[in-house]
Amino acid sequence: MSEGMDRLFARRILVCVGCGGVGKTTIAASLALAAARTGRRALVITIDPARRLANALGLAALGDEPSPLPRDQLAALGVPPSGSLHASMLDQKRTFDGLVERLASDPATRRRILANPIYQHVSDALAGSVEYSAMERVYELYERRDQDLIVVDTPPAQHALDFLEAPQRLLEFLDSRLVHLLIHPAFSAGRLGARWFQRGTRLVLRLIEQVSGVGFLEDVSEFLLAFEGMAPGFRQRAERVRALLRSRETGFVLVAGPEQESVTQALAFLARLEGFGVDLQGLVANRVRLWPDESLPPRGDARPEDVAALARALAAAAPPGRPASQAAEAAAQCVAGYAALVRRDERALGALRERVVAGGQRFWCAVPELSQDVCDLESLSRIGAFIAARAEEMA
Amino acid sequence: MPTRAEPPPLLSRRLVLVTGKGGTGKTTLAAALAQAAVAQGKRVLVAELGRDAALPRLLERTPRPLGYPERQIAPGLFAIHIDPFEALAEYIGLEIGLPGLVRRVLANRGFRQLMEAAPGWRDLIALGKVWHLEQMREAGAPRFDLLVVDAPATGHGVTFLDVPRVVMSAVRAGPLRHHTEQVEALLLDPRRTLVLPVALAEELPTRETISLVERVRQLGLPIDRLVVNGLRPRPAPEEVGDLAAWLERVPDDLALGALPRPSRMAACVRALEARHALCQRYTRELLERTGLPIVALPYLVEGIRGEADVAVLARHVLASPIEAWR
Repeated sequence: MSEGMDRLFARRILVCVGCGGVGKTTIAASLALAAARTGRRALVITIDPARRLANALGLAALGDEPSPLPRDQLAALGVPPSGSLHASMLDQKRTFDGLVERLASDPATRRRILANPIYQHVSDALAGSVEYSAMERVYELYERRDQDLIVVDTPPAQHALDFLEAPQRLLEFLDSRLVHLLIHPAFSAGRLGARWFQRGTRLVLRLIEQVSGVGFLEDVSEFLLAFEGMAPGFRQRAERVRALLRSRETGFVLVAGPEQESVTQALAFLARLEGFGVDLQGLVANRVRLWPDESLPPRGDARPEDVAALARALAAAAPPGRPASQAAEAAAQCVAGYAALVRRDERALGALRERVVAGGQRFWCAVPELSQDVCDLESLSRIGAFIAARAEEMA
Repeated sequence: MPTRAEPPPLLSRRLVLVTGKGGTGKTTLAAALAQAAVAQGKRVLVAELGRDAALPRLLERTPRPLGYPERQIAPGLFAIHIDPFEALAEYIGLEIGLPGLVRRVLANRGFRQLMEAAPGWRDLIALGKVWHLEQMREAGAPRFDLLVVDAPATGHGVTFLDVPRVVMSAVRAGPLRHHTEQVEALLLDPRRTLVLPVALAEELPTRETISLVERVRQLGLPIDRLVVNGLRPRPAPEEVGDLAAWLERVPDDLALGALPRPSRMAACVRALEARHALCQRYTRELLERTGLPIVALPYLVEGIRGEADVAVLARHVLASPIEAWR
């Protein structure tokens, strides 16, 4: 087997990150399929696939338990007998419930937490906690060791890397003085400043209680009390997940689109990923307008004499009466228009490419924009093969 | 399709809530609307509710971050970032005083984290601030002729607009009830308010927009058109027929000066045609499934770099919407 692919798929986990709308799900599924074609047992965990892509992966009916794609379909795409592809769709809410179920000390606590209205909003509460629970699920599947490679599609979030920090934030919150004041008012009542602060807080909270619905303060205290018992278990697991994400077992693939906004966000992602000390394997620029051959796209408008020559050639190639000069004009405009798109994408992605490649052993791959929405295994297979080929060239 | 009376002009409202899936160009549309209204001589306030402050880059020559309260960014144009904690401090300050204590509590990190957990209040307080801005008077006339709100992305966007109703079902009396009623009355008033969804002609945004429109209608919020962003033009006139196939009949080794080989030209034509076809397909789906007329905004090759590009979109924003698919 080839070196580039081996390097790309040497990890047990590949996490695809990037901002919303760039086709992360498509790229994740394509990578998993490409891994299956190298004979690996691959699993793709998706978050919110487009409906037809979900259908293609057989996800329309299923929940978050991995289910295999039919053997014959895979064989038709060149997956050898040793390879397999499972897909699962993450149910974010259920995953978080699962976390509580695992960590709660007893059934009563579990019920209390799950029924608590504040719990329903914990996902909003600490940005990234849903994303984090997705990582929890990945960890669980990783521990089962049923797969050679797990490719993870991360949730579209405003701050899509929050899952890396979420556990820490949740723990900090539980440790904070305010939480202690609320849960154990008696302990800290001795200090005048604390008492004042507590009184002020309660006053404001009561006002807010009216705004957000009745019983908020009570719900919060109850939730925190119940959750407090879970904190040690939570901390332990959070640390293990964190260690796994930073280990050599896990690689990250950044997915970006050619739009300026997406490039800007990808640069920010890159800096944060490096800050976390995780291993960035490479970047996939998705839906890039590429020139159809190795030549450079022409600049500016076509020369009138060239358009006239094209009109004559078109007239010669069609029955008389068809509007050859109009067609030649339109063709020249299409060439100029598409060339402008190609150059725009090149320019926008240039800085990103430089940054990625400067980081050393990383692959860079521009996946061309396909003429159709990606909604079948064949297109996934084409994209996967494309990325694999680029990884080869780089090796 | 049946012909309908054309909807009233977009800018005849007092409040336009721009909403849609993330990445569809909500902020750009909000900026374009604001610019178009200023060009008509209106005093306009744009309000950004999200955390990504892109508005200044779109509207100012030298962008500076937005804050609270609003600041003037151009003649006739004001902008504000409605930070929920600032708005809450202002509201509580107006209602009960004690500014020092309130500020101290609101600045506490633990308190802020706790408040992040509280459902709904951020949306309510932001909408309350929008109402407050709508009510502002200067020398007897409204301080702003038009408020454009860059609302949160859908998913969250509809919850956002539903909050006053939810609060009213929970709070039976008192000043909060009274204020919420006024916010709700503003949102539901078709003479003052318009919910303006923006979509892209792609699969996921189309799906989400269709469900957004359903939800907006269930809530009884005023809606009369959709904006579809990034539409690609038809690459070749219809009478030319299948241009790519025609080009492929030309011998590929024919010298055409600086033009690429015919097969490469055909590839360019096909790439542009494919995008155009997808745009048509999803625009048609949006028209048919929502029954709403569509305002089409063109795809700009270089993206939205600043004021000048926003001005291009501003010219399209006020055009009569497409009623049916031709």
